[in-house]
Amino acid sequence: MKLTAAAVAVVGAVLLLLSLTLLIPGDPATMLLGPRATPETVAALKAEMGLDLPLPTRLAQFLGRAATGDLGVDIFSGRPVSTMVLQALPNTILLAVSAILLAILFGLPLGTIAALKPDSIADQAIAFLSVGFVSAPSFVNSIFLLLVFALWLNWFPVLGAGTAGDPLDQLWHVVLPAVALAVGWIGYIARLLRSSLLEVLNEPYVRTMRAYGVPESVIVLKYALKPACIPTLAILGIGVGELLGGAVFAEVIFNRPGLGSLIYGAIAVRNYPVVQGGVLVVVLLFVATNFLVDLSYLWIDPRARARLALAGERSA
Amino acid sequence: MSYAATRRQVLAGGSALLAAATTGLLRPTPASAAPDKIVVRVDRDLANLDPANRTGPIDVNVLNAVQQGLIAFKPGSTDWQLDAAEEIKQVSDTEISFKLRPGLTFTDGYGDLTAEDVKFSFERFIKPDSAGKMVDYASDWGALDHVEVTGPLTGRILLKSAAPALWVITLADGSGRIISKKAFEKLGDKIASTVIGSGPYIFKEWKPREQFVLEINPDYKGPIKPFFKQIVGRPIQEQKTSDIAFQANEIDFERFEPENKKAFSALPDTSVVELQGIDYVWFGPNIEKKPFDDIRVRQALRLAVDVDAILAGAYAGLYPRANALLAPNLLGYWKEAPVYKRDLETAKKLLADAGLADGFKTTLTVLSDAKPQAVAAIVQANLAEVGIQVDINTLDPGAYWALGEKDGSKVLDLSLIEYSGKFDPSFQTQWFTSAQVGQWNWQRWKSKEFDDLDAQGAKTTDPKEREAIYLKAQQLMDESAAFVWITHNVNTYAAKSWLKPGLLPNGNGWLYTAFSAA
Repeated sequence: MKLTAAAVAVVGAVLLLLSLTLLIPGDPATMLLGPRATPETVAALKAEMGLDLPLPTRLAQFLGRAATGDLGVDIFSGRPVSTMVLQALPNTILLAVSAILLAILFGLPLGTIAALKPDSIADQAIAFLSVGFVSAPSFVNSIFLLLVFALWLNWFPVLGAGTAGDPLDQLWHVVLPAVALAVGWIGYIARLLRSSLLEVLNEPYVRTMRAYGVPESVIVLKYALKPACIPTLAILGIGVGELLGGAVFAEVIFNRPGLGSLIYGAIAVRNYPVVQGGVLVVVLLFVATNFLVDLSYLWIDPRARARLALAGERSA
Repeated sequence: MSYAATRRQVLAGGSALLAAATTGLLRPTPASAAPDKIVVRVDRDLANLDPANRTGPIDVNVLNAVQQGLIAFKPGSTDWQLDAAEEIKQVSDTEISFKLRPGLTFTDGYGDLTAEDVKFSFERFIKPDSAGKMVDYASDWGALDHVEVTGPLTGRILLKSAAPALWVITLADGSGRIISKKAFEKLGDKIASTVIGSGPYIFKEWKPREQFVLEINPDYKGPIKPFFKQIVGRPIQEQKTSDIAFQANEIDFERFEPENKKAFSALPDTSVVELQGIDYVWFGPNIEKKPFDDIRVRQALRLAVDVDAILAGAYAGLYPRANALLAPNLLGYWKEAPVYKRDLETAKKLLADAGLADGFKTTLTVLSDAKPQAVAAIVQANLAEVGIQVDINTLDPGAYWALGEKDGSKVLDLSLIEYSGKFDPSFQTQWFTSAQVGQWNWQRWKSKEFDDLDAQGAKTTDPKEREAIYLKAQQLMDESAAFVWITHNVNTYAAKSWLKPGLLPNGNGWLYTAFSAA
């Protein structure tokens, strides 16, 4: 079921994308040929690029080629889009994963502390910080971090993703953009976890454990935190997917050659093959991430395992 | 042995670490100021390195450093000097003869540069490729009939008609680059991302969206002496990021917004360069549409808008005012062009005479950048004072420039436009001919007399005669009242104080070969 839904989502996204190319004014042929092109030259190039074909034909052609790994070529340089996407992808994955890890690293403890001491000064301070973090736009965070940590303190570099093949250099370059992106998620995770942990801590099985004298630390860390993390996990699944294609501001401001900035730059010049190829990969990653998150419920939540087992018995 | 730090020790250690960090002890070494390598910022990545299909100045600046032309621009001027040619001569209006320097060789083992390569490089602009497609810059060589090879190193460029602009628009610029015929035939489509040249620099590396590297060509035998061993170009899209990177010593040279000139001038170890531009920014109506088909309405617009206020408000008072199409340093500059002062009474009277005493509603279409939007807001406020209500329609670049196709400009009312200039006036006038209506003549202004002058100017070789032609052409534009000129732009650059950039007067042309120590 989930695999079918994922396939439908991918085809739907591509269809929407190809439709948009018909609706948005401007086309790659005009952008490529520039002001001195004649209408005949523009028309010839459009035909060469298949822009004059009906939408279903273009969709079939695009998906057929994509299935073989051919995402077309950049209209300006003639480079294969698949190569461009593959070059950009590691930078984006590193950024997205780093940002999410940072968000978990800080968001989980803050949410837990807030839930364990509800309405305390610590809880209120964390609530204040969380709301502040969530509402700060990532491009503002990015500029602020650049000014403080790159320009004034000179601790981190301003530009780029670091030297390929040098993991330390790449980590050094990812710190500031990852923090810029993580800040909002830290606040979000902290608020979400606080609320779900408070709910779990009031469950009857927790009260029973307390009655049996099970230490509070064991109750929280071993029995309450796991189920309380399930809503957070669902949000993280969406978050990773969003960051894979949506870290545009951070990539543009920190000049990281990632997937988001690749797509962003391509949209401005109507470089549709790059936009389509890039978005297809983002959609695939988004779907795959959410699929993995769904699977991880089985590992975290015994009730989900039980439901699946029951469904299996019924179908047998 | 074990060691347990006390809280006091931890705090002391942490404080020391913080102090060291903030005072610079832990800082990484800033970018080297060594004079053998510079890092320059380019505002977008390279896109197509085939001279005939290049996409703009970023590409052509690299091509000019790596490939030779028969001639090349002199730094800081629109004059040219010999490059691959040992001799070049305008024999008649339609013939240019040339003799190449001996011993020029292409990189990567593609052999000697010969007159056959010159013929191939230039004639591919006038012949369709194997797929039947003309190259993008075909019009640069529109006057070319053919190139005749008269010897291994000599030849004649034969034109269909006189083309005085050929020298600065074509021969000294990107369309005049000489490519290796052998390399082109071997590389095919890869010519767009591989540069084989015989020029002062080698195209050493290109990591798309990260950097390109130019390195001195040890086998170069021309007259140009490059200074830096290595030039690294870093594409940085966001201006603010670039400004911070410059201050953090990650780049040595960048273009910045003129509004920040004061801030950059105050930076240590920084020199600021300012160049008056040759672009042309204007706004005007679509004169085919009512009520702009009435010249009185156009004249009213011109008198209702306060250009000086636009320059003060949207351009921080730093840009020079334009009063006609051609900038002061171009042939045909109209020094006595009328400077229209705001005159609301006359504007209102003109509108009343046109039967529009109560004003009317219209739309001004602009690019979605900050500056055009600021101009639009001032125009909107100005025109409101004579009863004209203006809605501002902002478009992203893709949608905005699409107005140049499929007769897109037909729907426009008012539009604010900025075109880049080149060194010959014929480049600037070509967009305003009747044939360009439906493409880039968004005012849709048609004048047979202007068309004739444009054609005549493109073929006239005598500079005095040409000057008179372009003055007359601008007078016709002025009489139409279809153009409210705003500015020719100004370009500002920041360089480390030890660096002297090599710039052409249009601001977009950077001669990497002329970057040197200050």
